[in-house]
Amino acid sequence: MTMPGHFTLCIVVLVVLALLGLPIGLSMIAASVFYFIVAGLDVGTAAEQILNGLFNSYVLLAVPLFILAADLMNTGSLTDRLLKFCLVLVGRFRGGLGHVNVVANIIFAGMSGSAIADAVGIGRVIIGMMTRGGSYPVAYAGAITASAAIIGPIIPPSIPMVIYALVSDTSIGYLFLGGVIPGLLLGIGFMVTNTWIARRRNYPVEPAVPWRDVPRITLDAFPALMLPVVLLFGIYGGVMTPTEGAAAAAAYALLASWLIYRAMTWKQLYGVLLSSAKATTSVGMLIAGALVFNYVVTIEKVPLSVQEFISGFHLTPIMYLLLVNAILLVLGCLLEGSTILLVIVPIMIPTAKALGVDMVHFGVVVVVNIMIGLLTPPFGLLLFVVAGMTKQPLMAIVKEALPFILMAIAVLAVITLVPETILWLPRLLGYKG
Amino acid sequence: MERARLVRGARWLERRANDIAVALMGLMFVSFLLQIAFRYLLNQPLGWTEEVTVLCWVWVVLWCAAFVLSNNDEIRFDIVYTLVPPPVRRMFTAVSSIAFVVLLLLSLPASWNYVAFMKREHTAYLHLRLDAMYSIYVIFVVACVVKQARIAWRAITGADEAENAETAAP
Repeated sequence: MTMPGHFTLCIVVLVVLALLGLPIGLSMIAASVFYFIVAGLDVGTAAEQILNGLFNSYVLLAVPLFILAADLMNTGSLTDRLLKFCLVLVGRFRGGLGHVNVVANIIFAGMSGSAIADAVGIGRVIIGMMTRGGSYPVAYAGAITASAAIIGPIIPPSIPMVIYALVSDTSIGYLFLGGVIPGLLLGIGFMVTNTWIARRRNYPVEPAVPWRDVPRITLDAFPALMLPVVLLFGIYGGVMTPTEGAAAAAAYALLASWLIYRAMTWKQLYGVLLSSAKATTSVGMLIAGALVFNYVVTIEKVPLSVQEFISGFHLTPIMYLLLVNAILLVLGCLLEGSTILLVIVPIMIPTAKALGVDMVHFGVVVVVNIMIGLLTPPFGLLLFVVAGMTKQPLMAIVKEALPFILMAIAVLAVITLVPETILWLPRLLGYKG
Repeated sequence: MERARLVRGARWLERRANDIAVALMGLMFVSFLLQIAFRYLLNQPLGWTEEVTVLCWVWVVLWCAAFVLSNNDEIRFDIVYTLVPPPVRRMFTAVSSIAFVVLLLLSLPASWNYVAFMKREHTAYLHLRLDAMYSIYVIFVVACVVKQARIAWRAITGADEAENAETAAP
């Protein structure tokens, strides 16, 4: 390392500013500026890295477009219709509304790439349905909503996978495919957990929907159900890139809510665009900060030093993956997911490559880790979202979410130890890894 | 009276800043759709749509960070921050905001030079001057410095004690 003293100081400044409550993106920019000043480098590099980085990373456009698509679906009544359809499918089993919640998230995952948007969109309707008449405890309704929402970015499309693709130079298309089976495994795992809890606590069964209503409900949900199909066939049929898929999804959601459901006013559209712009900026500022900060990390050759350090232990790829899982699960309790993806993961990637870990396998494992991090206290973004929606104390939600978190960790262990669970589908469709 | 007018004026500016964010987001979306339509339906790829989309993305992020997003909308690591009593929290805010203001002010001349240096360069399709396109970065830095300076001032004078208590919960 050149000048370790300057870099150490830079890390101290970053940690102190972030701990004092300055937004993380701004903290990274300020710490990098500090580094350039003390190291006697050109301070204009900050502007250069941020501007060129944002301009030249075309794949990043998928981030705002997927955010917009999810917001449009939630504002137009696509989500509501989808839930009615899921009620027909799985409402008749013990703990029916819990299953509806999970299945809706699986279908929704096929068009949305953001767990937060899924929890808000689906939770807005289903938490009310579950708690009406006191049939489910409010905290349980919140917990299963938060847990099921992590499926969203694991089944494609996925905003975290787009960010991982950016930092690792991996194909977004194959990453997306790699997430399909792990996402379904999580869905099945959560439904098993829900069945087990529902039996023990005797949660209700929903009255069976009369057969004559089924065609109407299906037809009602049809445009929403078609979106994942259009999107996935578009991307894997080679018609669209994932970024274009994001735009197409947003356009489809807009048209469906406008023309078919007639559930979107100009005022709502303005609101959707504004809230998407804000959400885009929250992530975008982190990306901007990470662009400068990772430049500093790279000129200090940190990933290389980590690689040299780790290679001294003669780890096998599996041991390294388990180590990464352990580190990411702990960090997930403390840090926001995009921060981990943009700052910590790039340091881990060179070692993974050197050990011969497949980059698609690594990426999906990392994203599942980060999704579990959204559920683990004290800092779990999804916990905050559902605690806010249900007006429940955070710890009540955490207690009810615990069986789901353990199930997710079990699935994580399976996909870590059996790479085929992730790589089978991409290989089937031409991945040469 | 004077103060009420100032507040009204500030609200008006805030709404116009929102309008611009919405326009940029809408333009990004529309130009991207045009690009897809021309490439796949008309088999006639357009270059400029890609440029407009990327420019909108950069401008949305930096514009909103400058004028639309409040400190609380941004992603923060607030575990420690929320645990300490309000007076300590104000001290935290004051220290971090002042540090940010000082560092970014120091970076301003070099940032300005970098952006100005781009005046010879143009974008590939629309031949827009790159210094004009990149100027949003300087606007962003100046706006963030002003915003953080105001946050620091309010923390020191205790102007938004009530507001802080309200936003403590994440």
